[in-house]
Amino acid sequence: MSGHRLILAGACGLLLAGAAFAQVSVKIQSPAPDQPVFGPTDVEVGVRTAEPVSQVELFVDGKLRGTAQKPPYRFNVDLGEENVRREFRAVAHTASGATGADTVVTVPLQINDEMNLKLRALFVSVVRDGRSNLALEQDDFQVFDNGAPQQIVTFGRDELPLTAVLLLDTSESMGERQEAVRRGARAFLDGMKPSDEAMLALFSDRLLRFTPFTSDKKTLDSAIVTTQASGGTAVNDFLYLSLKLLDARQGQRVVVLFSDGSDVHSVLPASDVLWKARAGQSLIYWIQLGGKHQSFTSAWRDFKGNDREYETLENAVRESGGRTLQINRIEELEGAFRNILQELRQQYALGYYATTAKGDGSWHKVDVQLKGRGGRVRTREGYADY
Amino acid sequence: MRARTEGRQVGGPFMWLATAALWLWAGQAVWAQDPAATVPQGGSGSLKLRAGEQLRPEKIQELYRRILSDWSAGQTDRAPDELVELETTVAVDTDARTHKTLLAAEQAVIHQVGESDLEVLVPIAVLHHEAYRRLLQRGGRGHALALAHTRNMTKDLALLYNEQSGSEGAAVVSSRLLTSLGGLLLQGAQQLPAAEMFQKAIELDGRNVAALLALASVYEKNSQAESAVKLLRQAVQIEPANGEARLRLALNLRRLQETEEARQLLQALADDKDVTWTTPLAYEELARLYTDKGRGSEAEKVLRKAVERVPDDLRLRIQLAAALDRRGAPGEATAIIEKALASLPSQEAAASRYLYNAARPEEFAETRKFLDENSRSRFQVLAQALGTPQAETGTGVAR
Repeated sequence: MSGHRLILAGACGLLLAGAAFAQVSVKIQSPAPDQPVFGPTDVEVGVRTAEPVSQVELFVDGKLRGTAQKPPYRFNVDLGEENVRREFRAVAHTASGATGADTVVTVPLQINDEMNLKLRALFVSVVRDGRSNLALEQDDFQVFDNGAPQQIVTFGRDELPLTAVLLLDTSESMGERQEAVRRGARAFLDGMKPSDEAMLALFSDRLLRFTPFTSDKKTLDSAIVTTQASGGTAVNDFLYLSLKLLDARQGQRVVVLFSDGSDVHSVLPASDVLWKARAGQSLIYWIQLGGKHQSFTSAWRDFKGNDREYETLENAVRESGGRTLQINRIEELEGAFRNILQELRQQYALGYYATTAKGDGSWHKVDVQLKGRGGRVRTREGYADY
Repeated sequence: MRARTEGRQVGGPFMWLATAALWLWAGQAVWAQDPAATVPQGGSGSLKLRAGEQLRPEKIQELYRRILSDWSAGQTDRAPDELVELETTVAVDTDARTHKTLLAAEQAVIHQVGESDLEVLVPIAVLHHEAYRRLLQRGGRGHALALAHTRNMTKDLALLYNEQSGSEGAAVVSSRLLTSLGGLLLQGAQQLPAAEMFQKAIELDGRNVAALLALASVYEKNSQAESAVKLLRQAVQIEPANGEARLRLALNLRRLQETEEARQLLQALADDKDVTWTTPLAYEELARLYTDKGRGSEAEKVLRKAVERVPDDLRLRIQLAAALDRRGAPGEATAIIEKALASLPSQEAAASRYLYNAARPEEFAETRKFLDENSRSRFQVLAQALGTPQAETGTGVAR
């Protein structure tokens, strides 16, 4: 018991000593106490005192996360995706040594609200006056989700690591184009950064060869060298597989498909690919050789059925935010691969938490606009809210 | 056991000549589109003919007799190549009249040898069939006339044999010849002429399952499910255990909205004790049938069973992953895909779905074996008719 008394006496002594300093009023203005917080979070602190403030410190869950010497006292801290209670404590110090503090405790989300927290990533290409290499800032963009304006919480360009699946059709229909395919894939791989990873998948009506996700170009290169053309074509099945594998990856994710798109042998309909493209966050680029799609019939589908499949696949590509590149000659393939990589590098990565999210699988239309000067903006058309 | 003539002679009016000419032109329209000549002609063959060499009818007859003689002597590798050499040298695409010269010369020889025994038509037809197959195998480019000629020789000799014989055995042999020929046409994506061959083959022998299946697959590719179903029911009745026939029947029934019968057929096929190339397809299509009916959990159940029975089939795993994704179990879906890729065996063999859609030579392998046996068993007759030494003959028989 005597120990307790001693501590209490010490604390009283400190309080008495503090009374001699000027009063410092500190208020954490955001986040609000009842607000769940995740990811990059802005913290704003207001300080009122009669004398100059020398420093404001921000502690999150007891750890110092930032200091500011002059107003406005704003901090941006990345809190990760964990759904937990957070304690924010701001401490202001004045020139004379006076201090003031405020604490805000945020709450975790109820489990049935958790689905609202998925960070939606948009990869946005902008072309203005024929130029795509523009130095735009976060404030230049506006994001609308089902018509409702959204707060952009993450922003970057060419910062996120890229994960790509190069999905190459090596069916009979590709035949002698093999060498050009090799050159094209190599061009893409050569342009990758050390932090980027790729997976190479060569398919026909079966998966002929694939590599793991790797940044080792030798591994990737060896898969291309040993390609043999054979069999039919099953684009849907292996595109689905690629999108599924990318689900588990982070950063900018893309499938680059090279195929004439005449899917004869897939077990999955193109509607499954469309669903996957809508539900996921990967981009799909589709390089096609030759002119317009040729109708065909097979034991699996008739002309109309195959045409519908082709159109659905095109929709999946467009809705993912990628695009279809038509090349007229196989010699243009290498350039197409380079263009895609360049385009990916120049894209702006915008992240937001959809205020309209319900997790009911409904379709959300996404619109990205530029403030001020115009420009052509391309990104995914929306997403399925899962 | 051989199919023998019933007193009728082959020396009657060779009406097939006119038919052959018609077929010749029909075939030419398709094949003449190929501009590049890839078949070596003249000089390099054992007949030592020069490219573009113009042969007199007597010379053509002499060479044709020699080829038939080689064939009947069991020179089954050389004789078809010689026939290709002769026909590609004589029948020149740039001069449509050349086919008449060739046809007349060959007809004259067949007329002479056929006088003694109608059975000689079988090995001669099979020889032309083999020459056609080889010419196709080499690309056949630049030889539209020769291709059409030798194909029509096969067909017309088959029909003539059946017509002149009138026996059940002859009908079976002729039916098989037309089936095999149809198979070759199908491999060349010539669906319409192939269908005509199969149709005729079925008319000759209603129990020819290979022809029934092949014609059904042509109907299937042309969205004529009703016609396909009719043929496939016939095939299943003849061979109740034929997996391909049951599978095609199920899929065509499904297209006709006869889903319950289709479901039962697919389930039975999936439950078959032995795993064949149709087994994963039965599971895949059964699952799709359930998915289309909104019975996702049953589709999932089917696919789980399928993965258990055919563990190396990546496509089944992809389909199961897609079903799980839709159900809201993306984690398990990813695990299934990753596990499959980690232990994926070599994918050298064609996938089942490809086999279903392809015209496969092996579909007609049994037919060809039958024809080969029937041809060899008549080499002796042909050799005698030609007045050449007897051949070493096989033991094949016609039914």
